[in-house]
Amino acid sequence: MSDPVSLTDHPVQEASSTPPAPGRSRHLSDRWLTVAFISPALLLLLAMSVFPLLWALYLSFTDYSATRGGPATFVWFENFTAILTSAQVHLRAFTTLLYVVGAVTLQTVLGFSIAYLISRRVRGRGVLTTLFLVPMMLSPVVVGLFWRFMLDAQFGVINSMLGSIGLGQVEWLTKQNTALISLIVVDTWQWTPFIMLIALAGLTAVPKYLYEAASIDRASEWFRFRTITLPLVWPLLLIAVLFRAIEAFRLFDLVYILTSGGPGVSTETLSFHVYKVAFLGFNTGTASAYGILMVLIVIVLAQLYMRYLNKLKED
Amino acid sequence: MRYPKRIGLLATAVMMVATTVVACGGDEGGNASAPKAPADIPALTKDPLTLSFIWFDWPPAKALEAFANAEYTKERSNVTVKVNVVPNANWHDAMFTQFAARKTDFDIPILDSQHIGEAVTNGNILDITDFVKKNIDVSAYNPYLLAAYGQFPQAETGQRDENASLYGLPLLGDTWTMIYRKDLIGDTPPATWDEMIAAAQKCQTENPGVSGLAFHQANGSDAAAVTYNTVNGVYGGNLWDSKARKIEGVINDAAGQEAMDVLVNKMKPLTAAGSGNWFIDEVNAAVAQGKACIAFNWIAASGGLLDPEQSTLGKTREEILGKLGFATLPKQKTDLVPLGGMGMHVSAYSSPEKQAEALNFMKWFEQADIQKKWAAAGGVPARTDALSSPEFLNAGPFNKVYADSVSRMRDMWNVPEYARLIDIENTNVNAALNGAKPPKDALNDIAKEQQAVLDSAGKKGGGGL
Repeated sequence: MSDPVSLTDHPVQEASSTPPAPGRSRHLSDRWLTVAFISPALLLLLAMSVFPLLWALYLSFTDYSATRGGPATFVWFENFTAILTSAQVHLRAFTTLLYVVGAVTLQTVLGFSIAYLISRRVRGRGVLTTLFLVPMMLSPVVVGLFWRFMLDAQFGVINSMLGSIGLGQVEWLTKQNTALISLIVVDTWQWTPFIMLIALAGLTAVPKYLYEAASIDRASEWFRFRTITLPLVWPLLLIAVLFRAIEAFRLFDLVYILTSGGPGVSTETLSFHVYKVAFLGFNTGTASAYGILMVLIVIVLAQLYMRYLNKLKED
Repeated sequence: MRYPKRIGLLATAVMMVATTVVACGGDEGGNASAPKAPADIPALTKDPLTLSFIWFDWPPAKALEAFANAEYTKERSNVTVKVNVVPNANWHDAMFTQFAARKTDFDIPILDSQHIGEAVTNGNILDITDFVKKNIDVSAYNPYLLAAYGQFPQAETGQRDENASLYGLPLLGDTWTMIYRKDLIGDTPPATWDEMIAAAQKCQTENPGVSGLAFHQANGSDAAAVTYNTVNGVYGGNLWDSKARKIEGVINDAAGQEAMDVLVNKMKPLTAAGSGNWFIDEVNAAVAQGKACIAFNWIAASGGLLDPEQSTLGKTREEILGKLGFATLPKQKTDLVPLGGMGMHVSAYSSPEKQAEALNFMKWFEQADIQKKWAAAGGVPARTDALSSPEFLNAGPFNKVYADSVSRMRDMWNVPEYARLIDIENTNVNAALNGAKPPKDALNDIAKEQQAVLDSAGKKGGGGL
């Protein structure tokens, strides 16, 4: 039997050495074709992602305002210094941290638990998985709107249900101690399926023979979970956590719809604050610096996390 | 072969340069002041033309589109009027992000009176002073209304400055009305703020399930801020010293502190639980469902309260009017009421033919007979003759409230920093109303933060934080 790898190994090199097919222009080599096909996507990426990022980086060193116009004057690191030393920013950073930790932890625990339960079920697994995925398919704005109605203290169905079992009214969105919890709950409702999906993929990939061997050794359920399931699913779960943490870090839509950052500014996240800096006063330079700092934080934290993941993989 | 790689790099570089040129090319505005509109309306096109407005989504926007298409087209049959609407919270952003792009898909932005300063200093709207002089009978207006919806710099109260430039003309006048349950508190509305609070307290006690008060408390738009500003005005406070550009020590003086105390400690306890994010629609819903004894709302948004299909208070308009009364705001130390409403302006980035059409529309709209028709169609006119006309006074039970309130109005700061000032006040008043901050701290924070915004002109870096 021939080695299948040898057929596909280094396909690009193989292709580049292939002479043009009969009828094709002599100058149109495979290399040129590759460039021609990749160029549109590359140019689009450069125009829509790379250029705005570089432009924002440039603006972050200036006092430019999009509405006032005029030349952008360089203020160098003044915007960055002001942001990093601002008590207002520290407050939003703390709120964001609370939100990210709360939402991602809850989603991970719930998502993995649901995936574990579904993975043990043979019948109706597909239907159940699909049903659980529905919230993830909805627009966050739509989710925010209907949760806003459900959580309304006067007319909402949640308080109505609480009232029917004799519990009092809860001001879900207008009290400092419940507003952030409400945001976490809504985000968890929507994004737990994401964690569940990835955890389910990991659980399905665990080789059955490991469980069979454990059964022969009369290993307990907990022992099997602790020594087989969790270690094998853990790296995949951590990647899901990374994705969710990055997403949660830049939360904007749910805050905008559900609480507008209130009461006061107690649920204002960093993204929401950037929006206000950018569009209320049109301080484009400051907002650009704010955005760049947020990107840097995500990149640094993600790098540290990836290193941990790689180390875990090597171990 | 290395050419493709080089060409790829070259293409990338060209693309970057091209995109940079495109991105920088539009910035022609500089620190522009508003361009001038011609005194005479230029020749109008005979080709089909759509005249676009931008406003927020509320009943007057629908009324304006229907009215303009029914009436203006009698004079200009080739014109279609389109009123584009956005949610109230996005209204400022929707207009000013387009202004920032120096390209607008609207020809007539309907600006809140306090937006004028920002639009004028950025050169986003036309200076129509010469046009007004030649085409509009300014003596037909209450001078303050003309100033509030078009003049910059504008005094929050007082007389119009005849020498100041005009950038807009009134489209819709508005102020708060007190909506009260005649069947619960009696036919005579409370005359003073203290009496109003006492009546609300009594009504709430006697009618379980009905809250004493309903008013704007949300931290979006200008909701909570207008509520505080209203109470501040009634209790003799001031928002700032406009000549000295001083807020610290003015808004948080003794009168300001008393107003905050009344709002948070006397009025808030009379509202429904969870009403801390209520704005126009929620207050209307509470009234329509019979859940509030006394409510405060903008007159222009109150029309739906008389619709039997939206109300549980009666099966006919008359039945609802038997239970609901509309009155001017109670007085206390002063009789001030908040100025609402908006003016119409001309986008500096519209095509010349659309700017000409916009000027023609404004001239048409401000005629005496058209203002009366606008009043009959549900609008709130600004011309004095239209305000006292039977068409206006008979169109709604709250219209007399507006006519009686005109001389009592006070606006907020009309400065380019308005959006940030209102956000600071909104979030802090909302925090005080919802127990996230002690009222005194909230007011002192408003004073400190707003003063910092006014003082930050010329500061390098970190603006907007």
